[in-house]
Formats: sequence, C-alpha cells, structure tokens
Amino acid sequence: MAVYTSRRRSNAIWLSLCYASAAFGLGWLVIILATLLWRGAGGLSLAVFTQMTPPPDQSGGLLNAIAGSLIMTGLGVAIGTPLGVFAGTYMAEYGRHTKLTFVVRFINDILLSAPSIVIGLFVYEVMVTRMGHFSGIAGAVALAVIVVPVVVRTTEDMLLLVPAPLREAASALGLPRSTVIRKVAYRAARAGLITGVLLAVARVSGETAPLLFTALNNQFFSTDLNAPMASLPAIIFQFAMSPYKAWQSLAWSGALIITFAVLALSIFARVLGSKGSSR
Amino acid sequence: MTSGVTVKNELPTKIAVNNLQFFYGDQLALRNVNLPLYTNKVTALIGPSGCGKSTFLRVLNRMYDLYPHQRAEGEVLLDGRNILDPQQDLNLLRARVGMVFQKPTPFPMSIYDNIAFGIRLYEKLPKSELDGRVETALRGAGIWDEVQGKLHASGLSLSGGQQQRLCIARTVAIHPEVILFDEPCSALDPISTAKVEELIDELKENYTIAIVTHNMQQAARVSEYAAFMYLGELVEFATTTQLFTLPENPRTQNYITGRFG
Amino acid sequence: MADIAVESGRVAYKDAAARRARALRAFRFRNGSFHGLTLTAAVAVLVILGGVILSLIEGSLPAIRAFGFGFLYTSVWNPVTDQYGALAAIYGTLVTSAIAMFFAVPIGIGIGIFLSELCPEILRRPIGIAVELLAGIPSIIYGIWGLFVFAPFLQRHIQPALIAAFAKVPVLASLFAGPPYGIGMLTAGVILAIMVLPFVAAISRDVFATVPAVLKEAGRGIGCTTWEVVRHIVMPYARAGVVGGIMLGLGRALGETMAVTFVIGNADVIPHSLLAPGTTISAAIANEFTEAVGDLYTSALIELGLILFVITFFVLAIARFMLMRLERNVG
Repeated sequence: MAVYTSRRRSNAIWLSLCYASAAFGLGWLVIILATLLWRGAGGLSLAVFTQMTPPPDQSGGLLNAIAGSLIMTGLGVAIGTPLGVFAGTYMAEYGRHTKLTFVVRFINDILLSAPSIVIGLFVYEVMVTRMGHFSGIAGAVALAVIVVPVVVRTTEDMLLLVPAPLREAASALGLPRSTVIRKVAYRAARAGLITGVLLAVARVSGETAPLLFTALNNQFFSTDLNAPMASLPAIIFQFAMSPYKAWQSLAWSGALIITFAVLALSIFARVLGSKGSSR
Repeated sequence: MTSGVTVKNELPTKIAVNNLQFFYGDQLALRNVNLPLYTNKVTALIGPSGCGKSTFLRVLNRMYDLYPHQRAEGEVLLDGRNILDPQQDLNLLRARVGMVFQKPTPFPMSIYDNIAFGIRLYEKLPKSELDGRVETALRGAGIWDEVQGKLHASGLSLSGGQQQRLCIARTVAIHPEVILFDEPCSALDPISTAKVEELIDELKENYTIAIVTHNMQQAARVSEYAAFMYLGELVEFATTTQLFTLPENPRTQNYITGRFG
Repeated sequence: MADIAVESGRVAYKDAAARRARALRAFRFRNGSFHGLTLTAAVAVLVILGGVILSLIEGSLPAIRAFGFGFLYTSVWNPVTDQYGALAAIYGTLVTSAIAMFFAVPIGIGIGIFLSELCPEILRRPIGIAVELLAGIPSIIYGIWGLFVFAPFLQRHIQPALIAAFAKVPVLASLFAGPPYGIGMLTAGVILAIMVLPFVAAISRDVFATVPAVLKEAGRGIGCTTWEVVRHIVMPYARAGVVGGIMLGLGRALGETMAVTFVIGNADVIPHSLLAPGTTISAAIANEFTEAVGDLYTSALIELGLILFVITFFVLAIARFMLMRLERNVG
C-alpha cells in the first residue's frame, strides 16, 4: 500500500508540474501581448500611418517603413512563391520517389530553419557587393529566399494530400501529367497552397535580420527598388535601441502593428487551412 | 495454361491480352493471363478480392504507369497494336480507353467544367458546339435532366450516384473506344446502381466495355462474357450464361456457389 | 442519344483524329516543359543552399587567410588593430543557447504532455493554436519586450537576489557575480528560452500524438498512473521525435538574431559572469556589419556567419534525421 501511495504522490507531483508549465508558457503570450497593447496602443494614432519617420525627439509616423515593408514583403513573396510552388510540385508529383526529392526535402527543411541573418549575408555577398549599394530589391530577394522553403514544404504536403483516385481519374481521361497537376491537383489543394503562402507572408513580414544589410534603412519615403528602403522591423530596431523617448514610443507602435498583422495572417491561414482539409 | 477459354466463335476482338504478367516490385500479381475483349460487348471480371481483377483493368489503360516499381510483361493488343510498347503515347491510349472508378471522382470544378474540361483540351470548339457536346455527354450518361438547371454548381454538390454518372459522362465526352469500369457501383445505393447498370447496357452499343465487380448478380445482369480470376490467374472465360450455369472449372463452380471468396 | 454523339463523331472522324493528334503533340510539349520547369525549381533549392555556403566561404577568404584556425580560438576582437577572433561570439552563442535549452526543454515537454495527455478536449485546440501563434510572433517583438520590460525587471528583482543567494557558493558565485546590469548573457538566454519554448512544445505535442492509443491503454490496463504511462510508454516511444524537436529549437536559438541583439549588451569579450554583457555571432553581425570599415573587418564578420551556418547546419541535420526516424516508425 505504501508503494501505491508513493506512486500516486509522484503522479500528482509530475502532473501538476505539467499543468504549471502549460500555465507558465501561456502566461508569456498573455504578458507579451498585454505589454504590446499597453505600450503600443498609447502611441497609435492616424499620424503613425500617414507621416514619415521623424528626426529624434520629434513627432511623426511610420508611413515610409510600412510602405517599405509592404513593398519588400510583396515582392519577396511574389518572387519566392512560384519557385517554391514549382519545386514542391516536382517533389510531390514528377519526382515523388526519386533520390533528388529526398535530398531537396532534406536541404529544404534545413533552409526552413536556417538563421535568417546568414541569408542576409548571402544576399549581401551576391547582390549588394555587386551592385555597390544597399537596395530594396536586395531586401526583397533576401525575403524571397526565406519564403521559398516555407512554400516548398506546404506545397509538397498539400499535394501529397490530394487523393490518388482524383489524379488517376484525370489521367484516365488521357490528360497529360502537367494538366492533371495544374487543373486538378492544384485546385484540389488550393486552400492548402494559399495557407502556405499566407504563412510565408507572416513569416517574412516580421523578419529583421536579413534586411539590415540588404535593404538597410531609409528615413524618407522611397519606392525606388534600387535605393535603400525602410522597413518596419528595421525602424523598430533602430528606434528601440535609441535613447529618444519619441522614437521608442514609435518602435512600440510599430511592434504592435507587426504583431497583430502577423497574428491575423496566421489565424486567417489556419482557418482557411482547416476549411480546406475538412472538405 | 489457357484452359479456361472455351469461347470458340470468331467475334471481332477490340483488345487481345496475351501472356500478361504483372509485377508489384518483385511480387507477381498476374500470371500468364490470356483474354479477349470483344468489340461492343460487356465483359465482366469476377473473383475474390486480391485476385488481380482490378490490376488487370489498370493494365488496359496503363494506369499503373503512374507508380514506380509496377510493370507488365506480355502483350496487350488494342486493334492489333501492343499498348505495352514503351513508345505508346499514354495520353492517346487513355483517350481511347476510358476508365470509371470505384469511388466517384468529380474534379473540384463545376458540373459543366467537369465535362468540358477534357473536351477543351483535345479540341478547340466554339462555345455553342462545346455546350452541345456537354449536353450530349450528360444525356448519354442519363443525368442531363437532373443537372441541366445547375450546370455551374460544383460537381461535388451532387449525390454519390449522380457524381458517378457525371464521371461516366466525362469519360464518354472525349469519345473513347473502350470503357473500363472498376467496381463502379460498390459505393452506390441500389437505385443509383440500377441506373448505372442500365447505362452500361446502353453504352455497349457504341463502346467495348470491361467491368470489374464484386457482385455476381451484377455481372450476370450487365455482361455477355465473364472471366473468373483467382490468385492472379485467369481460371475461366466464357459467355456469362455459361460461366454462371455450367462452369467447367471446379474452382469457378465453388466461387459461384459461394463456397469461398 | 448516344447515337448522336457517335454519329457526329463519325462524320468528323478524320478531322477529329487530326485534331486529336495535334492536341497530343501539344500535350507532350506542355508536359515536358512543365516537368522541366518544376525540376529546375527543385534544383534551384539546392542551388540556393550551395550559393549560401559558397558566398559565405568566398566572403570569409580574406579573414581565413589572415587568421587561419586561430580565428576559432582567439577572443581578441579589435577593429582598431584589425585583429579578430571568434571565440567570444562563439562562447556567447553557445552559452545563451544552453541557457535557453535549460529552461525551454523541460517546460516545452511539460506543455507537450499537458496538451496531448492532460488537457480537457475542448481546450486542446485553442491552447494548441495559442502555442503555435506564440511561435509565429516575430523575434524582434521578443527583443523589444526583453529590452524594455524583461531586462529592467530582472535587474531590479531577480539579479540582486541571484547575486546574494550564490555569493557564498564557490563556483556559482563567479557565474552570478554582480553588478546587475539587466541586459547580459542570462537575460538573452531567458528571452531565447521564451522564444524557443513554443517550438519545443508544439513538436513534443505532435510527437506524443503519434503514440498509438492502444499502447497507452495497455499501460492503463496493468494499472499504471497517468504519469507512469507518460514516463514509461509515451516518452520512450517518442524519444527520437522529442530529441528532433529539441534540436530544431536549438537550431533556432543558435541562429536567432533580433531577440538576442537587444539584450545581450554587445560587448566583444568573454564575460565571466552570466549577468555581464557579452555578444553572440548573430548579434555581432547585426550590430557591426553595416558599420564595418575595411575588408578584413567585413570578412571576419562573414566568417562568423559561416561558422554559425555550419553549426546550425549540423544541429538541424541531426534534428531532421531524428524526426525522419520517427516518421519511419510511424509510417
């Protein structure tokens, strides 16, 4: 009986530790979001979205940073998505059982978690040094390199979920493999593919490290892809590390904007993804 | 080897299968099968599950080519030409030899597009002509009356039986010569089953048909010729009447009288 | 009705045959080019990885030539005299990641167990999603939060207590020697832990979910408590996957830039106390790269990046290998 009591005691202790760790982990989410709201909402006003980043200790907004982020994220996703979708298509369709697919999958999974700052260095080496200056396009390319593995992964996973009979039925009509893939498999996996792209957008819209020495930063509004371009994360970095109160407050507002944009995107992607898979 | 073949009359043969062997990797799934499919006749393939009847069907349009490590040896002559030839254009083959699957497989698009999709890829037709072809195909599959008001609804919105007839219409629309049915009714209710069987009966006017079925009554109802397969071998091939009333092989007899399978 | 189809088919038979032949030729071309396109894209993924490695090596060459292997074990980092060694940054990277894993692994696994075995059914999905969302928050948010909220909190409340508590203990006294700066190695490690936690938790949960229900029921059947089922059935079964998840989290921690750069203090030295400022590879690159003047300085920073990439490459490769082993068991 004594054994049983001690077993029950250890059960109770360990399980309460598990409960405690769950409470602890979720506690951080609440604390971080609460702080963000608390510090960021105060400075949030229309000016944040309509005015340029100010000189130290003056009021202003984040318009150039928001615009830069949108441009580079959009361009990065536009470059990275087709590449990722096609590579994922090869892996799930034409090359499903080949050695190449096995290798690409392995390498892709590594790129998926590779340090983003290294991606920044890579693009610095191949673009910035050759062009001779920092530029928005280099920033977009760096983001595209981060988009690719995310999209490759989801594309392959989603195409593998397309039921084999559907593919066979299309082939049985005498349709070539390319038509089967583009007109039937892509359609059947559409929700999942869009989810993948949204997740990629969410992932890169908060990326800072790869932009620091590709797009650099810019205190002024610029849509010139050949010139340095501001981005929300880079501005947050610069302003938060500064000693100026007004800049710090703007950094918090920027952080709030990014976080909620990313959370909204991920939630939307998830809803879309679960709708797609339940059908 | 071909002990089972007792049909001696000289009907025109659409597909002649000679010494067919089929492998999943190293595993032999079909052993030395010889079987004719007569032009404009319905041939039923029966046998217990795993006997190779579906595998046999999937050789006739080389569906197995989609998967690695599956291969066929021997001869399958479609109008006298061996389709197992590596030079065979698979898309052409599959346009000539259509297939309807066990589970209905409507494509994730509208009813109209499900049909028009295949046609459009082969032929550039003006809209009115395309509409006509779609209608003819849907009528041919006996589903026109049920869907004519909602051609632009999703193919997935139809009932199981309607979906299956939509798939048949889709197959018919690209004018094949042979249609393969792989247990087309096993996922359907009795009323839908009756409709599909009726349809098969009409289709044989214009097409050569092979049907794999679990259901012996169904084989008896729809087919003129029947083949009994067991453990990857063709045991007996005869007219349906003969196979069901006077089987020559004791194994056929055992299966038909329900002693195994 | 079917007659009509065939009749019209026969009238136009020759025509249709020609059209079909043309369509089939087009099919072959289209399929061939699409196949080629996707194959090229797949190969491009390999090219990207190759490009990353090659460009980093190319960029590091001047530093490699100047310092050789000494770069790896010297800690001088002096832009004025153009003398560079990576040891301080490597040390900082390893120590902050170790601190992060020290906290994140047990807590992450605990959350995984909670989600897969203990959590009431209705809460399982929302809490699971919350954990995944936590994993999606950009790292710069952790950084800014760490700098403005967490570091001052540590400085005021935790660090003085640590310094006092370990003052008399031989080894720990130097590890936790004052003064309480707020920012420093410990703070960076803890922020990393918070950041890595959701990764470890989400993967542990996924891995625990692969344990077949019958196994757990069998354990119950011989009278095991919930904890005993977890300890003796779930954990051993899922071990490879959990290790994979931990390595994946470690890969994140090693390469993380923004969460660390805000709070590490950016001192290019090997600090003796965990409470003192230090640096990590990624923080050094982020802070100094754009201001680096001179080819050797830039090259030394790129070589730091190369070292980071090599380390994370192996960690992530091990992670994938472990996860693949689990998948094979399940599949």
